[in-house]
Amino acid sequence: MKNTVLAKRYAKALFQVGKEENALDSFNQALSEMAALYVQVPEVVDGLTNPLYPLVAREKVMEHLLVKLQVSAMVGNFMKLLVQKRRAGALPDIAEVFQAMVDAERNMCRGTVISAAPLSGALNSKIKATLEKITGKQVLLRTEIDPSIIGGIVAQVGDLVLDGSIKTQLTGLKESIKGSE
Amino acid sequence: MKLARKSTLTLLGAAALIVGLTVLAQAAGHGEGGHGEGGIPTAKWLDLLWRTTNFTGLVIILVWALKKPFTQGLQGRRQGIIDKFADLEAQKGEAERIYREYEARLTKIDAEVEAIVSAAVKHGEAEKERLIAEADRAAGDIRRQAELSIQHELAEARLRLRGEVAEQAVALAEELIKQNLQDADQNRMVEDYLDKVGAIQ
Repeated sequence: MKNTVLAKRYAKALFQVGKEENALDSFNQALSEMAALYVQVPEVVDGLTNPLYPLVAREKVMEHLLVKLQVSAMVGNFMKLLVQKRRAGALPDIAEVFQAMVDAERNMCRGTVISAAPLSGALNSKIKATLEKITGKQVLLRTEIDPSIIGGIVAQVGDLVLDGSIKTQLTGLKESIKGSE
Repeated sequence: MKLARKSTLTLLGAAALIVGLTVLAQAAGHGEGGHGEGGIPTAKWLDLLWRTTNFTGLVIILVWALKKPFTQGLQGRRQGIIDKFADLEAQKGEAERIYREYEARLTKIDAEVEAIVSAAVKHGEAEKERLIAEADRAAGDIRRQAELSIQHELAEARLRLRGEVAEQAVALAEELIKQNLQDADQNRMVEDYLDKVGAIQ
């Protein structure tokens, strides 16, 4: 379960430190890698959050991970603090909030474009330009292929959703036929 | 009381008569026979006199002793009979009154029967009209409900049919689009959509 308030509190603290040290990118990268590891490897979750293990053992697990990932001392201390405060479970949420804070700081936002078939580079650029024009921010797009939308695109940036897929149009057509007298 | 006094006097008279007759008989005996051998001896006469006197005294005592209770008993009996007669007279009067009452009621019974029958017929007519009106109302309700039900079923069927038509049409359109959609169409579609979205902005 997401604990956004808690994640925001920790992410904000780390963000302020990162901003002072001008190390937002390295902090963000380290957090993202740690969060990906936490989500993808169940043993990491167990080693960091299982209350059956003593706190010292959990800290050692975290130290081992930090050494392997070669993160900075500041981020390392932050991770150890999470383990000590028994907040290691909030790591993915903190990474997500930290990412959003960094993007907001740089007037950036991240989005996804779903299409039924691969799009050309020119078309991707046009989509990016259109989204930047709409949001007024620099947009980092991630593309996905989903044949179920039949054709067109579905673009999502934050809360903004642009649905130009054939599937949605057919659904609208179906509803209009059903609702017409 | 009067009767008892009369009986007592009668008895006293009878006793005096017996005594008189006895004295006369003895006197006659002395006159005829004197001291002759063939007459009834004086001792016999005296004995008869004694016995008669004794009997008379017994009768007087009995009459004196029994006179009052006997009289009272007879009077009580008489009063009882009088009371009985009075009761019987009262019962007879009550019976005659009841008889007259029932006789009067019997004379009225025909009119009452006629009134009851008339009221029953009237009530039956009113009940019949009420039942007919109620049945008409119920029939109207049933008819309206049936019409509403038919309309509802028709609307549902129409909706279901339209839904099926829409599903089939969309499925067919989807199939056709999948078969005929080319990359150029896809690109043009995306570009048109972006132009439209950008124009709105």
